[in-house]
Amino acid sequence: MAEISTNSTKSKGYLGGLAFISVLLGLYWGLFRAPPDAYQGEVQRIMYLHIPSILTAYLSFFLVFVGSCLYLWKREKRDDILAYSAAEIGVLFTALTIVEGSIWGKPTWGVWWTWDARLTLTAILLLIFAGYLMLRSLTEDENRAASAAAVLGIIGFLDIPLIHMSVYWWRTLHQPPSILRPDKAPWDNVHPALLTALVINFVAFVLLYFYLLSQRFRLGEIKEEIKARLLNRDN
Amino acid sequence: MGAWGFVFLAYGIVWGAILIYWVTLKRRLRRAETELAQLRASEELQRNAET
Repeated sequence: MAEISTNSTKSKGYLGGLAFISVLLGLYWGLFRAPPDAYQGEVQRIMYLHIPSILTAYLSFFLVFVGSCLYLWKREKRDDILAYSAAEIGVLFTALTIVEGSIWGKPTWGVWWTWDARLTLTAILLLIFAGYLMLRSLTEDENRAASAAAVLGIIGFLDIPLIHMSVYWWRTLHQPPSILRPDKAPWDNVHPALLTALVINFVAFVLLYFYLLSQRFRLGEIKEEIKARLLNRDN
Repeated sequence: MGAWGFVFLAYGIVWGAILIYWVTLKRRLRRAETELAQLRASEELQRNAET
């Protein structure tokens, strides 16, 4: 058991190290190596944060969806811990996406915020999962909170296809996707020099995400063990 | 603010927030590990006292 724990700690250390190196590489590529965009100039460098952070948030809420479905089906605590951990980090990355978008929007659109369909739906996504976290921390009956949060997590995830399709369904200020386009491959749509910076930063965000998730999941496991031991002692 | 000002503002906020979250998470994890270790030790003591 101790050997498994040591191996797990070691692999988390490697993952953390790899994430750190890739973040440094992403910063170098995004800030110095990639050329400025022909139309947007230097401000476009914010996209090397904006796109990876929203894709990482989508990945996170997908894991909330999977963990929530599994928890409602099998009632295993591990699935609930996964959903709760992924929701917490997903909220962080969604909030950062909105902040980055806002900072990019001011010099590009002339406003910090506009009630555009995609922006509004992303703000709703953030509010749903902020509500998810509040529900978890304010409800005393933990099993009831976990079940209610699982339902909210599944409903919240359904906002993501709406966010993605909003630029096609409504007339929006937000431009259509550059990467996840149904009609064009990313390399046909984005210049290779810019795409390389974007891919490096996306890989860095995903590695960092899985490192943070592993730490947050471990915290959830320990908290559960503490609760079980205290309950056992009281009985 | 110039273009680079917006870029550095965005990068500063993002990496600052992620760093703060990571440090807070590490602290929460360390506190929980200490609590669990203390609980295990007290249970061990209790078991030894009983036997």
